[in-house]
Amino acid sequence: MNSSGIDALTGFLDRQACLRAVTRLAEHAQRDSRPLTALWLNLDRFNKVNESFGLSGGDTLIAQMAERMREKVRNRAHMARMGSDEFILLVTDCNEDISQGFAGEILQLIRQPLELGSIRLHPTGSIGVAVLDYNESPVSLIERAGRAMVEAKRQGGNRFVLSGEEQQPGRLGVMLAREELEVESKLHRALELGGLYLHYQPIIRLDGRVEAVEALMRCDVDGEMVPPVKFIPVAEKTGLVVRLGEWSLMQAARQAKELDDSGFPTKVAVNVSRAQLTAPKFAQALHAALLCTDVLPSLIELEITESLFMDVSELVQLNLRAAINAGVSLAIDDFGTGYSCLATLKDIPASKLKIDRAFIISLPHDGRVFSVVKAITQLGRELGMTVVAEGVETEEQLNALKAAGVDAIQGFYYSKPIGGNSLMEWLQQRSLP
Amino acid sequence: MSAETTGEKSLDEVMGGTFRDISIPPRPEILDLIGREMRQEWPDFKKLAGYISADVGLSASLIKTVNSPFFGFRARAKTVTQALTMLGLEVSARAVAGLILRKVFGDTPNLERFWDSSAAVARWGGWVVQQIGVRDQTRSEDAYTFGLFRDCGMPVLMRKFSTYHATLALANGDSERRFTSIEEEHHPTNHAMVGCLLAQSWWLPEETCLAIRHHHDYVSLQLASEGLPPASRRLISVAQFAEHIHQQVTGLCLTREWDKMGEACLQVLGLDESDAEKLVEAAKEERLDEES
Repeated sequence: MNSSGIDALTGFLDRQACLRAVTRLAEHAQRDSRPLTALWLNLDRFNKVNESFGLSGGDTLIAQMAERMREKVRNRAHMARMGSDEFILLVTDCNEDISQGFAGEILQLIRQPLELGSIRLHPTGSIGVAVLDYNESPVSLIERAGRAMVEAKRQGGNRFVLSGEEQQPGRLGVMLAREELEVESKLHRALELGGLYLHYQPIIRLDGRVEAVEALMRCDVDGEMVPPVKFIPVAEKTGLVVRLGEWSLMQAARQAKELDDSGFPTKVAVNVSRAQLTAPKFAQALHAALLCTDVLPSLIELEITESLFMDVSELVQLNLRAAINAGVSLAIDDFGTGYSCLATLKDIPASKLKIDRAFIISLPHDGRVFSVVKAITQLGRELGMTVVAEGVETEEQLNALKAAGVDAIQGFYYSKPIGGNSLMEWLQQRSLP
Repeated sequence: MSAETTGEKSLDEVMGGTFRDISIPPRPEILDLIGREMRQEWPDFKKLAGYISADVGLSASLIKTVNSPFFGFRARAKTVTQALTMLGLEVSARAVAGLILRKVFGDTPNLERFWDSSAAVARWGGWVVQQIGVRDQTRSEDAYTFGLFRDCGMPVLMRKFSTYHATLALANGDSERRFTSIEEEHHPTNHAMVGCLLAQSWWLPEETCLAIRHHHDYVSLQLASEGLPPASRRLISVAQFAEHIHQQVTGLCLTREWDKMGEACLQVLGLDESDAEKLVEAAKEERLDEES
C-alpha cells in the first residue's frame, strides 16, 4: 500500500486511496458478480465538538472513533477517511441484508460514550448504505451512499438509511420495484427457455490435483446476461430460489456424471441456499437429482454457509443428515464471515472448510490476517476437514496460503469460472503428459 | 400414470420386465438448441428446422403430429419448417419434448404400454380442454404435454429400485393416504418429484413442472392458499379427469386416485357430478383410445 495514501490521523485510507480502492473493488465485484457495499459515515453534531474543544478536541474524537472501528471492523471492510468527520467503509461480498446489520453495529460502536477533557460525550453517527448496481460506476456508488447519509441526518441522525429507501421514494422507489419485477420475469423466461446454465470454477490441491469444481449459476435472457448479484436476491425474495437450487443440483449432477463417463471423475460442488435447506422436500429433491442423472453421490458436494450448519431447527438438521445418508459430501462455505460458534464446529458433518475470500484479499501483507487464516486452517485440519482458500488471485497470496498450510486453492489465480465444455477441455489438457 | 392397465397385463407386471436398461437423458441437446433459438429476439425458423431435420425420425413425427386431428389444421404440413410455422415455436418445443419422451419410453421393450397409458391420459386431457374451454392459460396442447410427462418419474424409480413395482401396487390400492407418501415410505423420493426435476431440466413451463410435482397433492389442489398457480391446479385436474375418463371408457380401473381427488378436481374445473357424467358419456362416443 502506498504510504502517501494513508490518512495520518486515523491510519485509514485517504480520499485519493479510497477512490482507487473503490474503483478496483467495483471492477472485481462486477467481474465476479459479487456484491460490494459502500457505507458513508458522518458523525452527528461534530461541529459542536470542534467549537467547544477546538480542532485538537475534534481530532481526538475522530482518532478514538477510528480506533474503535479498526478493532471491530478489521478484515471485514476497507476503511477510509474522506476528510473532517466523514468516513467510507467498503465491504466486499456484502449484500443489502448483511450491510444493514453491519451499519447497525457501527452505529452502536459510535454510541459508546467517551471522555473528552472533563466532559462525557455521547456521540452518534449517520450512515448511508449503497450496494453496487450492475454496471454502476464507483463514483455513482459513493454518491448514492452520500445521499443516503444526508437523508439519515435529515431524519435526525443516529440511524442508517439504505440508498433507494430515502423517504418519499417517488420515482426511485417505483423504478426499483419495476426492476425487480423485470428480473423476476427474466428468471421465469430463463427457466422455460433454457436461459440458465452453470459455470464451473476449479478448486486445485497444492499438489496440483483437481480437488473439485464449484458450480456457479448464470442467467442469460434475450441475449443479455443477468448477473447473479441481481437475480439471486430476487429469487430469494420470490421463493424461486428453491427451484433454481434444484435446477442447479440436477445440472451439476448431470455434469459430474458426464465428466465421470468421459474418464475425468471430478467432484462437483453446488451451493445450497437457506430456503432449500428449510424446505420440507429437500431430501427428496436431492435423491431425485441423483437418481435421474445416475451420478455417483460421492461426486456431489453441497456447499452450505456456516450459519446454516449452526441452525438447530429440526428440519435443517434432518435435511443435513439426509444429505449425508444420500452419500454426498458437505462443505462449509464462506467460513469466517458469519457468526460461528466454535464449540459446535466439531459437530458439523462437513468434510471441507472454505475460508472466505474476505480474508484472502488482505494477504500476504496483513500479518494478523495471516495468523487468522493459519489458525482456521489448523482448526479445520484438526477436525479432519480439507481446507480450501477462496478468491485467490495472486502468486503472493498463493505462497502465503501454502505457508498457512491450506490444502487447496480456488480463484482467478488458477482459473475463472468456465462453461461445461471448456471445463472438459481444461481437464483433458491437464491430463496430457 | 397411477397404474393404468395395459390390456391383458397390469402395469405392475409390465414394469417388472427389462426396463432397468433404459436410460432417460437428463436433457436432450436438441431442446437446448431450440431453447437457445427461442431466446433470440427474432428466432430463426430455418435454423430450428435444421436442428430438427438432423433427426429424420423426429422430423417425421413432428410433421405427423401437426397433421393429426388433435390440432385440427386444414392445411397439411409437408416440411419441418411448415410444421414449426403452423404450431408456433412454443408449442413446437413442447411437441418435440413429448416426441423425445415417446422415443425413450415407446421404443423400450415393456415400456410401450406404459407409454400408451401416458399417451391416453394426454389425449383425453387435450380432449377435456376442448370440451370445457381454455381457462387459467391451460390450453389443449398444455394438457396434452402434461399428460405425457406427468408420470415420467416412474420409469426412473423402476430402473433404480427393484421393489418399486410392489410399492406402486400398494400406492394404487390405498384410498386414504397420498400416493407419494406411500412411495416415500419405501424409497428416498417419489415419482412426482423426479418427474418435476426432469421436466424442469427439459425446460418445460414452470406451471407444468409444478403440476407434475404436486399431482397427487390433494391439499394443494383444494386450497388456493397453498400457493399452487391456478394453471397448475387446472392441469392436475384435467389430467386426473382424463385418467378417470380413460378408465371409464376402457372399463379398467386399478387406482383409487379419483376417489381421493375427484371431488377437488371437478371443483377446480367448475364441473358438477352430472356435467362429469355427461362428459364421460360423450367420451365413450369419441373412441380416442383407438388413435395411435
